[in-house]
Amino acid sequence: MGNKQTVFTHEQLEAYQDCTFFTRKEIMRLFYRYQDLAPQLVPLDYTSYPDVKVPYELISSMPELKDNPFRQRIAQVFSEDGDGHMTLDNFLDMFSVMSEMAPRDLKAYYAFKIYDFNNDDYICMWDLEQTVTKLTRGELSSEEVTLVCEKVLDEADGDHDGRLSLEDFQNMILRAPDFLSTFHIRI
Amino acid sequence: MSAYYRNNGYEEEPDYPDYSRSQNHTQGNWKTRDYPDSLGPLNNSDYSKSRRNPYSEDSRRNPDYPRSLAEPDYPGSLSHPDYSGTRNSPYSVGSRRNPDYPRPLAEPDYRGSRSNSDYPGTRSNPYSAGSRSSDYPTSLAERDYLGSWSNPYHPDSFKEPDYPESQRNPGSRSSGNSAGSRTNPDYLGSLGEPDYPGAQGNSNYPGPRAHSNHPGSSRNQEYAGSRIKPHIDTLGKPDYPGTEDQPYSPNFLGKPDYSGAEDYRNSPDFWGEPDYPNAEDGCDYGSSKTPETTREVLSRTSSIQPSFHHGAVGPLGLPVRENEDYHESIEMKSVEMANPYGHSGHGYVNPTYVAESNLHPSYGNPPSGDDWYKSPQEQKLIASLIPMASRERIKAIRNQPRTMEEKRNLRKLVDKEKSKQSRHIFELSCCTHCVNSISLAYRRSKNILSELLSSISLWQKTFKVIGGKFGTSVLSYFNFLRWLLKFNIFSFIVTFSFIIIPQFTVAGRNTLQFTGLEFFTGAGYFSDTVMYYGFYTNSTIQHGSGGASYDMQLAYIFTIAACLIICFFSLLFSMARYFRNNFINPHIYSRGITKLVFCWDFTITHERAVKLKQKNLSTELRENLSEIRQENVRLTLNQQLTRLSIHLAAWVVSTGVATTCCVAVYYLAVNNSEFLQSHRNPGSVLLLPFVVSCINLAVPRFYSMFSLVEHYEIPRQEVYVLLIRNIVLKISIIGILCYYWLSIVALAGEECWETLIGQDIYRLLLMDFVFSLADSFLGEFLRRIIGMQFITSLGLQEFDIARNVLELIYAQTLVWIGTFFCPLLPFIQMITLFIMFYVKNISLMMNFQPPSKAWRASQMMTFFIFLLFFPSFTGVLCTLATTIWRLKPSADCGPFRGLPFFIHSIYSWIDTLSKRPGYLWVVWIYRNLIGSVHFFFILTLIVLIITYLYWQITEGRKIMIRLLHEQIINEGKDKMFLIEKLTKLQDTEKRANPSSFTLERSDVEEPDPLHVREYEGARELRFRRSVQENNPNA
Repeated sequence: MGNKQTVFTHEQLEAYQDCTFFTRKEIMRLFYRYQDLAPQLVPLDYTSYPDVKVPYELISSMPELKDNPFRQRIAQVFSEDGDGHMTLDNFLDMFSVMSEMAPRDLKAYYAFKIYDFNNDDYICMWDLEQTVTKLTRGELSSEEVTLVCEKVLDEADGDHDGRLSLEDFQNMILRAPDFLSTFHIRI
Repeated sequence: MSAYYRNNGYEEEPDYPDYSRSQNHTQGNWKTRDYPDSLGPLNNSDYSKSRRNPYSEDSRRNPDYPRSLAEPDYPGSLSHPDYSGTRNSPYSVGSRRNPDYPRPLAEPDYRGSRSNSDYPGTRSNPYSAGSRSSDYPTSLAERDYLGSWSNPYHPDSFKEPDYPESQRNPGSRSSGNSAGSRTNPDYLGSLGEPDYPGAQGNSNYPGPRAHSNHPGSSRNQEYAGSRIKPHIDTLGKPDYPGTEDQPYSPNFLGKPDYSGAEDYRNSPDFWGEPDYPNAEDGCDYGSSKTPETTREVLSRTSSIQPSFHHGAVGPLGLPVRENEDYHESIEMKSVEMANPYGHSGHGYVNPTYVAESNLHPSYGNPPSGDDWYKSPQEQKLIASLIPMASRERIKAIRNQPRTMEEKRNLRKLVDKEKSKQSRHIFELSCCTHCVNSISLAYRRSKNILSELLSSISLWQKTFKVIGGKFGTSVLSYFNFLRWLLKFNIFSFIVTFSFIIIPQFTVAGRNTLQFTGLEFFTGAGYFSDTVMYYGFYTNSTIQHGSGGASYDMQLAYIFTIAACLIICFFSLLFSMARYFRNNFINPHIYSRGITKLVFCWDFTITHERAVKLKQKNLSTELRENLSEIRQENVRLTLNQQLTRLSIHLAAWVVSTGVATTCCVAVYYLAVNNSEFLQSHRNPGSVLLLPFVVSCINLAVPRFYSMFSLVEHYEIPRQEVYVLLIRNIVLKISIIGILCYYWLSIVALAGEECWETLIGQDIYRLLLMDFVFSLADSFLGEFLRRIIGMQFITSLGLQEFDIARNVLELIYAQTLVWIGTFFCPLLPFIQMITLFIMFYVKNISLMMNFQPPSKAWRASQMMTFFIFLLFFPSFTGVLCTLATTIWRLKPSADCGPFRGLPFFIHSIYSWIDTLSKRPGYLWVVWIYRNLIGSVHFFFILTLIVLIITYLYWQITEGRKIMIRLLHEQIINEGKDKMFLIEKLTKLQDTEKRANPSSFTLERSDVEEPDPLHVREYEGARELRFRRSVQENNPNA
């Protein structure tokens, strides 16, 4: 606890606390996790807002993400330029959204972005196929995948425009009570 | 602290609708006119930009009523003085705040204008000053204006060349402007007569106005000559009524002026000061006029441009100037705007709304560039954040789907604004400052507290591992276990501090011998300790002669009651929370494939588990698909009949088994007590708990074998049926035991029957614990060996969440019943739960594999807590109520010895209190509220009425939701239809005239308003939902 002052200023910590769902301790823990990813890259002094990015390869090697089929999307969505390389802010953001405390709407918003592979603000057929393929590791035949996707669109597409908008997605999420507990990465 | 502001906002509110209406009106005009115009002559690129702009302005303007309304209202140059008058009303707020902050900012601006002393200076300076000012590194206003206004300005730059010809005009006009702004403070000072501004304006302005008219008209001509038609229409039109009908214009403008004037009067003293800056402002302009008259042509031509802004392009120019000068004025504005919101919004509704509205642009059309704060929604957001309490504000900021940097900036901006406000208020009263600092300290301490609490949270690491390997569903069992553990810790703390510690102080020596067998029987040595009811004294504990006395009887009954009441409420609240989160829309709950696809369990991190999960998921998807394919395959009558008869048989058998068990337990208990009386063998008391535990172990397994015969289509159904059968069994066993205790043990005339019941419960609990341990270590282990080594087709077993949770519920029920007879029971349960956690954890890691079916874990949790509440806790309450009201406490032991009923301790307490005059209110409350039948009758009636009303409201909302849902679908259809039609039209048009672009554009544009409408609809729906969600919170 004593050395946290050297990493962040008091104001910085407070700002982080206000902007995430974490306590001071958790922020420090996350920082050290972040720092551990690339000890030679990340300085131990963040008071001057150093512009450091940990490359995606290191981020995705975290045990929390390592085996997640969506790790690349997660990193892309939360990184600034969509390339998966993350600053500390991005890193904290990611785990804040994935934390237990984050509200449903926020989680749904980011989940939508994660499933929106081509970043066109809609989950279209192609995105769905990507999702299903990732979910099943290619165990379903392409025909089955298409069938599943059609079924999903059929169920969730509220305005019948052939793709899922954020509203459709949120509406669907409301009906999936498990979403809150499953869209959650413990740190 | 913002009371003053709020008041102010409130005062302005009456004007508000007017404002907005007129503003909307003109705005509408403007927009609609802008549309076709820009459609026509402008080139495409410009068009698209300017098309977007009105939008953003729109939305910006909507909230920014006073000023923005002023903009379209006073497009004419004439309005200038008036305008600044109205401008002052928002401005006034600003200038009210002026003393606090704009000073440092405004100063450089002024200085800039002064030093440059011509308009280009003033124009460019504020910009640079704004961006330079370190206070507002990211000053949103400025950028916003840069962004959104730049397009309307395009014409201005076109105007420039036109101007040199009419240099004189703008010159004098600008002087007129400055005069106007100078006179402004004057007539503001004399604002007492609201009519005067108009008259004065007339008298003051003829000159400048004439001038300004000139440029206006000349501009129009020029414009007409030049290509920028929209501006003639948009600006010229409103100009004309203003400039030409002078008698009309004061009226027209007088209205807003009034409000300004009223405002001034409302805040009388304060105004003097802020007016000064205005006057200064005027002076500056005046001085800037002089150089103009000296005609430095070079600077002149450029100076005209801004002056033109101020005059002819009043609506655009003025706000620009203002905003450049005081880019915080946007924030001020937003404060104002937020106030009415705050009034109507009541707290949290606000942020959600804002958040929703923010979602929309952020994904709809991504905000141009990375300056997120320049979009109008941001200002709206910031504005709505400011009046909030700090906790809510942080919550709202946190919930923004933005990057950390944006959130930080937002926070900084809002905090700055807030601190400005508070600093300003500080001048008014320093006590608000005190309040402020107290709230800050409170926030800090709360942070620390939450940190502490989170540091106590048990088993964080273990949870992570379990979640990583087995997913959320298995984790829910452990969550439930931890939750029960916390419950018991709390109960233990309460009983320990209020019953056990006082009893310790007067405990006598225990003469019984400790053999070790007591750990199992709970009898012997233990029966003479604080563990059981019988040991507690009925006397009043008093240490020393003058010390406070402590009535053990009352302490006992009140502590237990408090414990149960707190348990009741915490159960109720957590149940309600679960219900709210998990059964939001149960009637539209469908067994969808969607949830399988989008609810990937992100908690799973273990590689093997991920692979298994993927495999399971694909099987499940496949099953689901085949289900869908076969959905329409109807079973034949014969099949249906056999299925029905199988279900029926299963139910009959399961109920029969449960009944048999109950009867067996009852007779065993009765005979056992007779047997015990004759034999007195200390070990034989274990027979009953042993049998009960055996039943609890064997029968559920027998039940789950039914699933081999019964084939439920839906796995969830199977789980629920199994749960119901198990809970019926367990609860009926507990029920029969309670009956035995209350009607046989209690009436048998034994000495200290309460202690006997306590011992029974202790043994039951202990035996149950031992059985679960044995089951975990032996049963599950053996099952694994069998599954792995001998019958490999069985494979590893899956963790049976339902059965395990039911075991926990069973134990907890016993603990609740037993707390009255054995106050130390929560402590014992605490220890057993603690051990159970580790045992189950180890067993889980060794013997189990993740569940193959997607378990609706959270829904199951809701169900479990409901079970814990309904048969279990309510049953406990009934049992204890019977005990306290109907049973005679044993004559020689326990705190209630000698009383006819337990409840008589309360009666006699009330009697003693009624003799003391100081406590008569307690007596009154007791007699008229707690003890009164009428009160409860009325209360029940009221509750019933409220329930009925709420039920009706819910029904109404259901209909509403359905309608809105249909509306969304219809709008989607509309959209598709329109797009289809447009493409068709476009095709025909292309065929007819391939070079035409006009239609293409309209085609691109057409869906847009629709989109907006659709967004709004959806937003409204979500907003409504969030309100609904938040309602129970409130």
